[in-house]
Amino acid sequence: MMDRRRGAGAWRGWICAALFAAVPAAAQSLVPPPAPPEGAVSPAAERVYAAARPSLLQVRTLVEAAGRQSSIGSGFLVGADGLAITNYHVVAQYALEPATYRLEYARPDGTQGALRLLAIDVAHDLAVVRLDGAELPYLRFDAAAVAGELPRGERAWAMGNPLDLGFTIVEGTWNGRVERSYDERVHFTGAINPGMSGGPAVGAGGTVVGINVAKRLDGELVSFLVPARHAAALLERARSEAPLDLAEVRTEIGRQLLAWQDGFYSALDAGGLRTSAFGPYRAPESASPWFTCWARTNTEQRPKPRASLDGSSCSSQSTLFVADDIGSGSLEYSHAYARSRDLNAFQFATFVSKYQGSALPGGWSRKRLTAPECREAFVAPADAASAPPLRAVWCARAYRDFAGLYDVALTTVTQDRAGEALVSRLSMQGVSYANALAFGRRFVGAIAWTP
Amino acid sequence: MDAVTLPAAAWIEVLTPSREVALRQRVAGPTLTVGRAWDNDLVLDDPHVAAHHLRLTRDADGAWRAEDLGSVNGLFVDDVRVSAPVELAAASVLRIGQTQLRLRTSAEPVPAERPLARGRPAWPLALAGLAATSALTLLELWLAETGEPKLLRYLAPALANAGLLLVWALGWSVLTRVFDGRLRFGLHLLVVCAGVVLYQAWEQLAALGAYALAWTALARTPTVVAWLLFAAVCYAHLRVLGPARLRLKALATAALAVLGITLHSLSESEARTNSGQVATLQRLAPPVLRLAPARSAEAFFGDAATLAAPLDAARSEALEGGEEAGE
Repeated sequence: MMDRRRGAGAWRGWICAALFAAVPAAAQSLVPPPAPPEGAVSPAAERVYAAARPSLLQVRTLVEAAGRQSSIGSGFLVGADGLAITNYHVVAQYALEPATYRLEYARPDGTQGALRLLAIDVAHDLAVVRLDGAELPYLRFDAAAVAGELPRGERAWAMGNPLDLGFTIVEGTWNGRVERSYDERVHFTGAINPGMSGGPAVGAGGTVVGINVAKRLDGELVSFLVPARHAAALLERARSEAPLDLAEVRTEIGRQLLAWQDGFYSALDAGGLRTSAFGPYRAPESASPWFTCWARTNTEQRPKPRASLDGSSCSSQSTLFVADDIGSGSLEYSHAYARSRDLNAFQFATFVSKYQGSALPGGWSRKRLTAPECREAFVAPADAASAPPLRAVWCARAYRDFAGLYDVALTTVTQDRAGEALVSRLSMQGVSYANALAFGRRFVGAIAWTP
Repeated sequence: MDAVTLPAAAWIEVLTPSREVALRQRVAGPTLTVGRAWDNDLVLDDPHVAAHHLRLTRDADGAWRAEDLGSVNGLFVDDVRVSAPVELAAASVLRIGQTQLRLRTSAEPVPAERPLARGRPAWPLALAGLAATSALTLLELWLAETGEPKLLRYLAPALANAGLLLVWALGWSVLTRVFDGRLRFGLHLLVVCAGVVLYQAWEQLAALGAYALAWTALARTPTVVAWLLFAAVCYAHLRVLGPARLRLKALATAALAVLGITLHSLSESEARTNSGQVATLQRLAPPVLRLAPARSAEAFFGDAATLAAPLDAARSEALEGGEEAGE
């Protein structure tokens, strides 16, 4: 519906709820307001909004040269001294290109001014900014939410400035931590729209339980909040440490991404691998719960395909927003078992070829990534009785802005029979070379057969 | 005239710009005059020739001399302007105006008779070549067939391929007819079919070889081979067209090949740097064809580890016109 400037490539089915450049007027459909039934207006919502409104901010990124806004988000004051919380992705443009952009705030009372960026937390998509002022109204974090004890079903209100329409309150339900996700995200059943990112979600007591961050594009009212405790932790850090040096911001982001992927891959290791049967082969799958897997088959195709194909693909859905045109942190793998019905050996090899292309994550930007380098070889198993010979392809490319981070893809095709093959693809986004090699080794080492 | 010292018979030839004989006339007496006027022995229509332009004279010992009769445009012997009478060497080419002439005498030796070696017509081979390229086209389609085999999907490319080759050969035949007088369609068809069959065979073998030897670079050779074969085919066509200036023809077609290969490699490397494509093997083959030894997983990942260094080097090299360089 709206022309989003950001988040499209990296977030797949997700939308950063922050930013947009223009709302096409034609896209708005006018629905006549239904007559409100008696007593439908929640007095709690009125109270919460009235209390929180003075602490809300609109966070605007302006093109320095033009003085016009290029993207908007929300934020909220967390200290009388002018400290405020917003999302990293709201300030990312400015953080990465401080010479081109500047940051401004607008408060509900109409006051405006410059914002300084003090700290960022890329992994949790948070940032701390400061505006000049004293004795400002501010919001407190909810103690139960920080402790992770907020019960599922609790009512909460998300606030922010959606689509630059003005400060708004949206009612929704707290659904607790998303269970199958590596990153800690709270599922919030309320409409978070572009422009509201970085705004607070407030409980009935008027305290902040989470920070608006994203919504799913493929569902209705499936939105996400960053748990308040991460914001509280970042605020502590911003208060105690020296403010972020904008000249070194890429180093800082790179450091945070490296630290995040170290945590992710150790958790992945700790979760371990299990194997699933695909015909005579056994293929590795992560035993960690945070992968979403989908199966696919071509048995339903008509005319009947001349080779059957059964497989599954799994995604960690853990992409971190880094900039408009680059993300980091996703891990995907897929297996496809192909078996010839009446194709000859050459035709079957052609059939398999279609599924063995490079598995590097999509969306290549020359500004962000180097050209890929690849290695291909036939690989013999250590124990020929338990594993098939493979044809393996390793491709890697480096992040230009962040030293030590790479996108890596590994594809293997079993090479033991003329009419059967298992194609396995592994794609690691924003990973250190050592972690990629280690996980790649484990992945390949776990491909086996049951003769 | 003394019968014992009978002078050698002489012929005057009028040549085309490419020095083929357009007209040959026996020289009747000891002199021959050339010009536009009707009282000359050889009358030319060239407007750049004087009315009385050139006189050829045989002296007592049988040697011929050429003499400019006072023309504006002069007389050139073997591309050198001469003003005084000059003795002609055997087979010298004279130029007056835009006309080239050559004097031949019976004293000049002629090459030995060439036997009729090309007795076999090119037709049967050409047709065999056409059949071979069609068969290879069908084979390629069949080996890559993973869906329902449809007759049209096989016939259309095979017929299109054959039709294109026939039209190509016909084009060369028309050119040959213009310059040489003969069509030589069979020979042209043989030339182009041979080139295409060689290309198709190379394409298949390179794809299989790239897989079997685990040597992906081989799969990229067909474009280079295509340009080389294209140049070779053009050279062979030009040779059939006429045996003259073979060196120039060879140079021109070689330049074509070099240009084609250069442009192609440039566009390929541009595509790689601008779109981040990977250059891995696209087409697999049956595992029984594998010749390259399988490596241990350790060796493979050890090799993969060495990629980090070139990637880090690429990371630190600045992009041209990059944001950071610009500020």
